[in-house]
Amino acid sequence: MEDQASSSPDKSTNNKPRITWSDSYSKAHLAIDALAAILPALPPALSASETPAASLLQDPEVATQISQLFRRPDSGAVTDNLCAWLYDTFHSSEPDLQLVILRFLPTLAGVYLSRAGLHKPLPGFESVLLAIYAHETAARNGQAITVSIPDLAHSSIYHETKQTAKNSSTELHLGVVSASLEPYGTVRSTRRARIVGVALELYYSKISQIPVGSKIEFCEFCKIWSGQEDQNNGDGASTANDSQKVEKKEGRGGRIILPWEILQPILRILGHCLMAPEKNEELFQAAFSACRCLQARALHDINAKVILATGSLVKLAEMAIDPAAAAVDHTEISMSN
Amino acid sequence: MRDRANPYRPRETKHKTWHRSPAEDINPSMPNIHEGLAGEEQGRSCRGDDNDSNSMSGLKQVSELDDFGLAEAQNDGMLLLSCLLEDSLRFKMVEGESADLAQLEDDPSVRQVVANGARMRTNVVEAKLDEGNIQEAESALREGLSLNSEEARALLGKLEYQRGNVEGALRVFDGMDLQEAIQRMQPSISDKQAPKKGRSRTESITAVPQNASSVVLEAVYIKAKSLQKLGKLTEAAEECKRVLDAVEKIFSDGIPDVWVENKLQETVSRAVELLPELWKLAGCYSEAMSAYRRALLSQWNVDNECCARIQKAFAVFLLYSGIEVGPPNLAVQIDGSYVPKNNLEEAILLLMILMRKCYLGKVKWDPSVLEHLTFALSICSQTSVLAKQLEEVMPGVIRRAERWKTMALSFSGAGQNNSALDLLRKSLHQHEEPDDIRSLLMAAKICSENVFLAAEGVNYANRVIANAHGSNAHLKGVGLRMLGLCLGKQAKTSSSDFERSRLQSEALKSLDSALALEPKNSDLIFELGLQYAEHRNLDAALRYAKQYLDATGGSMIRGWRLLALVLSAQQRFSEAEVVTDAALDETSKWDQGPLLRMKAKLKVSLFQHKDAIETYRYLLALVQAQRKSSGPLAAVPQMEDDNINEYEVWHGLAKLYSSLSHWKDAEACLGKARTLKEYSAETLHTEGVIHEKQGHNSEALASYINGLLLEPRYVPCKILLGAVLSKMGTKMLPVARTLLSDALRIEPTNSMAWYHLGKVHKEDGRIADAVDCFQAAYMLQESEPIESFSTIR
Repeated sequence: MEDQASSSPDKSTNNKPRITWSDSYSKAHLAIDALAAILPALPPALSASETPAASLLQDPEVATQISQLFRRPDSGAVTDNLCAWLYDTFHSSEPDLQLVILRFLPTLAGVYLSRAGLHKPLPGFESVLLAIYAHETAARNGQAITVSIPDLAHSSIYHETKQTAKNSSTELHLGVVSASLEPYGTVRSTRRARIVGVALELYYSKISQIPVGSKIEFCEFCKIWSGQEDQNNGDGASTANDSQKVEKKEGRGGRIILPWEILQPILRILGHCLMAPEKNEELFQAAFSACRCLQARALHDINAKVILATGSLVKLAEMAIDPAAAAVDHTEISMSN
Repeated sequence: MRDRANPYRPRETKHKTWHRSPAEDINPSMPNIHEGLAGEEQGRSCRGDDNDSNSMSGLKQVSELDDFGLAEAQNDGMLLLSCLLEDSLRFKMVEGESADLAQLEDDPSVRQVVANGARMRTNVVEAKLDEGNIQEAESALREGLSLNSEEARALLGKLEYQRGNVEGALRVFDGMDLQEAIQRMQPSISDKQAPKKGRSRTESITAVPQNASSVVLEAVYIKAKSLQKLGKLTEAAEECKRVLDAVEKIFSDGIPDVWVENKLQETVSRAVELLPELWKLAGCYSEAMSAYRRALLSQWNVDNECCARIQKAFAVFLLYSGIEVGPPNLAVQIDGSYVPKNNLEEAILLLMILMRKCYLGKVKWDPSVLEHLTFALSICSQTSVLAKQLEEVMPGVIRRAERWKTMALSFSGAGQNNSALDLLRKSLHQHEEPDDIRSLLMAAKICSENVFLAAEGVNYANRVIANAHGSNAHLKGVGLRMLGLCLGKQAKTSSSDFERSRLQSEALKSLDSALALEPKNSDLIFELGLQYAEHRNLDAALRYAKQYLDATGGSMIRGWRLLALVLSAQQRFSEAEVVTDAALDETSKWDQGPLLRMKAKLKVSLFQHKDAIETYRYLLALVQAQRKSSGPLAAVPQMEDDNINEYEVWHGLAKLYSSLSHWKDAEACLGKARTLKEYSAETLHTEGVIHEKQGHNSEALASYINGLLLEPRYVPCKILLGAVLSKMGTKMLPVARTLLSDALRIEPTNSMAWYHLGKVHKEDGRIADAVDCFQAAYMLQESEPIESFSTIR
């Protein structure tokens, strides 16, 4: 919505003081020009694009090249141009361009988390993650995101009877979806999961605008992180092979510790991939497989909360592909009466 | 009861008088359209004659009758609701009046349309339509069924749609000005408020458009469905929306109850359900969101199942679409009622309402509702609410073992492990599901955290290993790991030395074989390190501690702590301090508590007492700041259970001052500690030490005894009590010896206990025993960490 408004060629806004079309347009082109110097072969169509940010977001060729650059053994260092480009582009404060950076977050986080250790600093990756973290911290003013669990004893807007029951006092259940944020200048290793987790939260909040390819990459990384094999990949054999290939490239297995602060956004993203309104078969299979891997991992960690969440995702996915449960269309008019 | 019944109560009374029983309204006074396959009933009345023209003339007669009836009805002020009757009654009427006039072929395969008490076969009309001649088809219908042009068109469109010819249906509707038809319906309604004198007039006025609107609105709805089938989703949504807009304008007070069985209500219900789905398919998510809210918050009088379907679809949309549009607007808010402020809250509310409808028996049980709710509540870590929801489900809906298992997971997720274990015991009963590997794992895990349950846990873990085959083969390593942990815990309560060492070595063996199966499991590496450390096999412990730190990239504080403690046990204090400092660098300040406490103790061990005091001071400031700033929403520290409290700091300082013989400072700190925790064996222990050091033996004795009264198993008090008693003459030596042996039974690795026991033996003249004890004490002290390994979790 927003991106259409700002990138549509609307001449009338040119002279107005607020952020204009030409401003975001030229910023996007600057970003593309800068990227041309980094990628081995930038698709020529991009430079001439009318909607540069959107084209950059959707271009599969750029995605492949960037993903390959991320996976080089020396990526993420101080001298990594790509990380510098991501950092600068994210700081352009253009929502469209920030979306482009978020599109690459799965690969960045995936490579980073699999490699992050004490012995090899990865300041390139960390600068980008910190920029995203700082953006979210500022946007939320450091506040926590909470959910107060409704109590059906009190009437609500969806209640059938609109009486308020004032006599029943009930305890308040306050669920913390995302804890409050503190500003961090560096990635301290014990806060790494939190910083990546917050970046993934931002990714989730924009997920409806993110291209499918990025989400599929994310699902593949979830499988790698889980360190588990998909026990049940009858039809998803091709994707499993892909993930094994990736795994080999990553070197040391890729199994990482998965604390709740990183698992929670992962589960929300996977929920979206499985059950979002826009259906995509490949994405569904990838997410389904990732859920099964994470479920197996939850059983290894014996983490009740994660067993519950992954268990219901797997069951819901099974229901979704169950032909017996194919829904009757209740909106169809009767064909005979 | 219908779901949205309440708002209609007033209207029901208003219309009650003209809602008469069907038998009275036998005369069809309004043009009514009914079509369909010839059924049994019709067949009976229309036997024999298949002469179309003959039947046609008969139909005309019926229609004249109808017109006459209409006039009469209006004159008499009679209610003209016969159009709303059940189909079966219509058929009976047809039977009675036109049995000999209209006789049609008794062939169920021929579709027929019935209207105004007349019927005609669709093949005539369809043939005309197939020729592309809409005009002729329309006029055939008009003549055949005495309809006006609008109704004929609507009927034609429906015929085409039912034949599966959606393009054809759209062509028919294109020739029809639906918009105008809708508008035409409205003025007749708009003055419905005006005539209030006679009930009859109001009724006759409203009755006319009600029926006409039913026809026109159904036509618009079918147009929307046709567009949907052609993939023109936005247009379809616009059409569908027009149906609802029109209904809202016509019936601004809601739809009367008496209409519930009516065609119009069917159309409205379908449109209400279809509109959000169309917007969703069209990718217009904010429109979809408001369509859902409109469907659920306005009064459409939809039935329970339909309302439940919409609620579920909306909840799913809210949960997974990833689109945050904002809370429902203020207009719908009612004083004191709960208004969700974001997607997740709204989804949870809807799902909970659906759950309640299910267990009240209002709608069919839908297992997916529970799964969605499980997901939503786990995501916000409120699994205790989920347990409550599961408790409320009626018996027989979910298999009981299944319910126990899910509830156990919910309780465990909320930290209520005792309730979880109780439920798991039920579900693992031999008559339920004794071999369910998930329950076994969960039970073993809970038992492994409690020394008194460890033996039970060993049993569960062995059953996990026995059942780890087939698709669960990958869980064998977890089973072994749990077995190792439970055995390790069990060893701690073991009363005999032999038993203890057997359990300990078995524990290590299990963990080792688990590691062989899961070499990359970092938790396992940590647990092995901890097990070795508690075993005082410090070299192995150090190796695993380093390995864990590498595997986790230093992201777990417990890894840093284990390494530092193992180093301190090896008496490598300065190295331990380097590790602690590195750990402090890698942690944000709210997580630093346990590390700072460790650092202070290290400073004491390094005889840098001033630094130690400085560290404690910093820690105190941190703890106090944390208490003030952190609400319930603050980030949970990485080690929840190990969060340091102010009491510990004051107590630590008191101990430090007492070791420096700063009695006043020590007393002051102890006083502070006492205000925070009034009855504590630890405080009394330190108090006793201060007394004893100052030579006040009887006061010290009193403190130690008080400490033991508070906590009979508190080892440090036991040891010092024994030590003080041993100094009080040979008579007391047996008592001292009993106390010290008891302390060693509880904590066999306590070097102080061994040391004092040695002294008792020496006093008693058992030199060989004394030598053994002193040797044990020396060896243990050489490998003593600055804090117990069990403080790491």
